[in-house]
Amino acid sequence: MKLFKLAAAAATGIALLSGTAFAQDDKPVVGLVMKSLANEFFQNMLEGAKEHEKARGDYELKAVGMQNETDFESQINAVDTFITQGVDAIVIAPADSRAMVRPLKKAIEAGIVVVNFDVALDEEAKKEQGVELAFVGPDNRGGAEMAGDALGSKLGEGGKVVIIEGNPGADNATQRRLGFEDSVAEYKLDLLDSRTAHWETEEANTVFSNMLTANPDVQGVMAANDSMAIGVVKALESAGRDDILVVGFDNIPAVGPMIEDGRMLATVDQFGTDMAANAIDLALEVVAGGPALEGWVKTPIELVTAE
Amino acid sequence: MTDTTNPTHAARAHRFSLRSILNNAGIGLALLAIILFFSVFTEHFLTSNNITNILTQITINLILAVGMTFVILIGGIDLSVGSVMALAAVVAGKAITMPGLGDGEAIILAILAGMLAGVVCGIFNGVVSAFWALPSFIITLGMLNIARGAALHISDAQTIYSFPFAFEEFGSAMIYGIPIVFLVALAMVVVAWFILNFTVFGRLIYGIGNNEEAVRLAGHPVFWYKVGAFTICGLCAGIAAIIYMARLNIASPIAGIAFELNAIAAVIIGGTSLSGGRGSVIGTLLGAFIIGVLANGLILIGLNDFMRQMITGVVIIIAVILDYYRAKYASK
Repeated sequence: MKLFKLAAAAATGIALLSGTAFAQDDKPVVGLVMKSLANEFFQNMLEGAKEHEKARGDYELKAVGMQNETDFESQINAVDTFITQGVDAIVIAPADSRAMVRPLKKAIEAGIVVVNFDVALDEEAKKEQGVELAFVGPDNRGGAEMAGDALGSKLGEGGKVVIIEGNPGADNATQRRLGFEDSVAEYKLDLLDSRTAHWETEEANTVFSNMLTANPDVQGVMAANDSMAIGVVKALESAGRDDILVVGFDNIPAVGPMIEDGRMLATVDQFGTDMAANAIDLALEVVAGGPALEGWVKTPIELVTAE
Repeated sequence: MTDTTNPTHAARAHRFSLRSILNNAGIGLALLAIILFFSVFTEHFLTSNNITNILTQITINLILAVGMTFVILIGGIDLSVGSVMALAAVVAGKAITMPGLGDGEAIILAILAGMLAGVVCGIFNGVVSAFWALPSFIITLGMLNIARGAALHISDAQTIYSFPFAFEEFGSAMIYGIPIVFLVALAMVVVAWFILNFTVFGRLIYGIGNNEEAVRLAGHPVFWYKVGAFTICGLCAGIAAIIYMARLNIASPIAGIAFELNAIAAVIIGGTSLSGGRGSVIGTLLGAFIIGVLANGLILIGLNDFMRQMITGVVIIIAVILDYYRAKYASK
């Protein structure tokens, strides 16, 4: 127990020391709060932010990641730590669109510039807490609709499709499902089934194999991320079906060859590597005295096909 | 076998008892009932394609559950198998994509590296929990984090892909409509069944689960038998990783999340007691089938995801209640 207290004291001491180090250095300090670094999407984003720090050279980056997608405890702790350290800006991809509103309110009240990117905070929760905060990020729903439309325009009216969803309850999963459903309505497609595979390749492989057995006449698959699209493609290969079109989302490197040789029709790139870096740029503008951000600052998305 | 110590003798008697046969028969009947139900209520269930699908889909869980059976029989638990599988996959993935190797060399290196990674984690679990007599629940919970962290670290959280064609072929190859990967799992069940029933090591696995002190007093190195059980469990996770890679042609550091729970469920549904000493790997085979058939059939019948999850949970609880009555009956 004594040892623990000693260690805690030492840690606090180091934190304080580094805190004063910031103050002496004139560079603004940006605290970046990421989601799960186990997800290669966020891992790449973090790498992008680190390179950006080196390239710009006029600010200091402090980055914190999490163990898994739903670990918002440690995000709250990270925000508190950044408030204590007195950073100039906090740039955050919230793990939970409701739980993170209150800790961020504390940060704003402490005079820290807060930028919310990747997943938007819940409007209701913001109103309740009296927080006004802009959102910087891609339109997941619009992106999914781009992929869905690519599929819809190939299949035409009445095309039979299924959706493979992300984690139930996750905001981007919901947005992407809604985007796919927009395409289904737009092209008058026939949606046979819609199920979750929790963003995961093996589960998508199993779930889709079974959906294919139940619906052998399916013509198109909309997967809410590329990891699951890979599982779908493998299921089609082992079933010997090359007449079914697959679209995904994220444009991870592993799907490159699949898009090229036609095993996948399309995916959506939301330039994840640049996303944190772009949000940091916006935060630094405000820190330097620019106007506060408002509403939804949309970041670029692009449909990726073989053409 | 000239060994006639008490636990060995008791367990051997159990092997051929009417009760043990009835136990497995009960699970088999439950499986048959589920199969019958889906055959009547869905048109695609009893097609050769769907049967092939089910066999492929239960393969990984079955392999993990075979290893888990050994650990649960000694009264332990291994919560790390899903993470260890991911670590083994990433290690094997790095090996197979190593530049400058021929396809054959790369595949052999990957298989060995993946199995070795699993074995190392298993030995660690066994040595630490047995040496300090610590609950394996906690030690393997630690390993769950160590292995997952290592998998993410080694792969830099990136999915490893593009493996030799021959490797992919192995993942989807079939003999008379039976996936080769399933035959691998089935072979492992047979080997495990043989080890558990016809070797001193296997009989003492039961003995340790029943009465560890008696086995120790009889002069057997309990420590090494325990390490052996965990090592087998780790090896199975390594083999599952190779199958995973061959099937999906990727190695993902986030593979296998919560797979340990499905493996434990298969073992328990299969009638192996969580307190150790009682059960069989044949039961585990049937347990894995029940989970796989349910997952498959409930999708075919069109039940939504959340209902599906609830029903799987109900089945696990029913299995444990049945186990309670089995234990009560056995103690009379």
